[in-house]
Amino acid sequence: MRLLLVEDDVMLASGIKLGLTDAGYAVDWVGSGERAQEVLLAESFDAAIIDIGLPAMDGLELTRRLRRPGMANPAMPVLILTARDALHDRVQGLDWGADDYMVKPYELPELLARLRALLRRSQAATSAVLSFGPIELDTAGRRASVRTGDAAGQTLELGPREWTVLEYLLIHAPKPASKDKLLQALTGWDKEITPNAVEVYVSRLRGKLEPHGVALRSIRGFGYRLELRATPGEP
Amino acid sequence: MTSGLRNRLLVLLVLPLCLLALVGGWLDYRSADEAASQHDQRLLRLLPALADSVVAPPLHAGEPPLLLLAPPIEDFLRQRAGYAGYSVMDDAGRVVAGNAWVTGMAPKTQAAEFHSLEYGGVTYRVAVQRGRTAGAGEMVVALADGSDPRQQWAQQMLLRMLLPNLVLLAAAALAIHWAVRKAFQPLLDLAEAVERRSPRDLSPIDEAASPSEVRPLVHSLNHLFALVNAQADGQRRFVADAAHQLRTPLAGLQAQVEAWALMAQAAAHAHHGFEPNRPPAQEGRAQGAIVLGVEQVEKLRDATRRTSQLAHQLLALSRADARSLDAQPMQRLDLKDLCEQLLETFLDPATGKGLDLGLDARPVHVTGHGWLLRELLSNLVDNAIKYTPADGAVTIRCGLRSVSRGVQRAFLQVEDDGPGIPEAEHAHVMERFYRVPGSAGEGTGLGLAIADEIARVHRATLTLGRNAQGQGLVATLVFAE
Repeated sequence: MRLLLVEDDVMLASGIKLGLTDAGYAVDWVGSGERAQEVLLAESFDAAIIDIGLPAMDGLELTRRLRRPGMANPAMPVLILTARDALHDRVQGLDWGADDYMVKPYELPELLARLRALLRRSQAATSAVLSFGPIELDTAGRRASVRTGDAAGQTLELGPREWTVLEYLLIHAPKPASKDKLLQALTGWDKEITPNAVEVYVSRLRGKLEPHGVALRSIRGFGYRLELRATPGEP
Repeated sequence: MTSGLRNRLLVLLVLPLCLLALVGGWLDYRSADEAASQHDQRLLRLLPALADSVVAPPLHAGEPPLLLLAPPIEDFLRQRAGYAGYSVMDDAGRVVAGNAWVTGMAPKTQAAEFHSLEYGGVTYRVAVQRGRTAGAGEMVVALADGSDPRQQWAQQMLLRMLLPNLVLLAAAALAIHWAVRKAFQPLLDLAEAVERRSPRDLSPIDEAASPSEVRPLVHSLNHLFALVNAQADGQRRFVADAAHQLRTPLAGLQAQVEAWALMAQAAAHAHHGFEPNRPPAQEGRAQGAIVLGVEQVEKLRDATRRTSQLAHQLLALSRADARSLDAQPMQRLDLKDLCEQLLETFLDPATGKGLDLGLDARPVHVTGHGWLLRELLSNLVDNAIKYTPADGAVTIRCGLRSVSRGVQRAFLQVEDDGPGIPEAEHAHVMERFYRVPGSAGEGTGLGLAIADEIARVHRATLTLGRNAQGQGLVATLVFAE
């Protein structure tokens, strides 16, 4: 995975680069928006991390420009870094084509998690395969499978409603999905569906995922989230 | 404040009034004196007529001489019936005719003499003259007049002069008292207006609303306010600038240390039988490098995170100040959306600590500053997660609650079942840098101070309490409208 880091502060940039490199990414670092634009015209990256507070051309302007056709990869996911008190920047950043944002001060594990999610979503958009841990959902072939070791996936038998729930959860993982939204996603199947029914599908799905080390955590008052267990449970 | 001025004005105005009263009295006395001397002249003019009234000597010794009162005397006596008298005396001063009470020393010469005489409660002016009578040779005649102005003046002094003047003085004092109070009302209003000011509200006082005499004072006060404001502004800007300047290098430092911590953890996992406190390897020593254990790196990372957080909070605090927010308009905000965002943000730290972070959000909107309310809520949730032990529960709530009959207010609430805060500490924990004695965790002591400040900006009230079971901490923000 090749990433572009656009950050003018040397210390911050080298820290992030160190962390990302250690996590297995190839990181190219540029210190200004102008330089980033030049690089992006010629080369393709899997994702970009852009600080909003850049000198001259700021991060928002850069985000807007790199979405233009003519760039090597106009669909590249962009994570912007912003100060927490500059909320309007965040809204504007998302309007102008950023995919996610992180507020300073942030912690590296969180940055890595967000980046993983971003990359996964961007791959899913192109490959039609959603994955989380060992779980893979081929939305084109409508096949759910579990990877075990290096062997080809073992098929996971899912009912149509369970499929919808899992698909929705996978699209949002590792973020939680709200029960209301799940309910909306399911109404395509049943005209009259109750929140209780959602719980039924979730609990069935939970039973099928748990043996493979994937937990479906209930979040009180909100919804559900897919989580990887630290040690995969024995089947 | 006005009693001094009021008394001064009272004295300053009453003293001239007293002086005026004295002058008036003196003038009155002068005119009475003049009238009296005219009166004396009149008595003097009448005396020869009285002398002429003694027309014949007594028929027998010891009897009065024969008197035939001249018309002027008769007129005089008739006009002043009861207040006049006359007498005719012999050489020795014995009254031989007329009113026996009209006495007096017989003058030695022909010149008239005057004196005052008290009789029957009336003070008389008496003129005595030795002179030739019409028919009884040289005798002494005396005329007494009780309508003498000088005597009356003394009597009437109390009634005519002193009393009205005293009444006038008292009335004047009351009027002055009232008028001064009335006149000083703008000053009192001004004092009240200044007293009502809080250090947060140093906006200038309306000069146009004050009377022109007070305007210089208001102007000076406004000038002082402006100076204090500028100083407070400068201080706040300094804190904001310092925090802002600190934030960037701290972010860099944090990024470095975070990377080391991740690398150290990865190395520790790879190293079989690794002990966290022991340096994983010694080979670096030869190149002048030191080797740190995972735990040491993590301590360093935690300290860096905390410092970074502190810089961020200082900045937030300086920006949450009401005065610096006037320029930014408030927006309509969806509290439920905010709670969901916060839940998402804090899900990982909460899960990592084994806490059940939940939501109980009803749709509700308020007007406010979005980033500030997010800051407030994130401070509350952060605290709850920090201080609640594993297996505890933290709930983020929002909705409408009834504050009185038929009145509903939007609220935000964070409830935990941790140790809570003793009631006696509730007021203190809102103070900046205050930390509950003996509290665990790694707080900066600014979280609740920031939350309180933000609540104030939104004219909302932040209260702390216990949950329904009388445990934990419930922080509730109730909006004013």
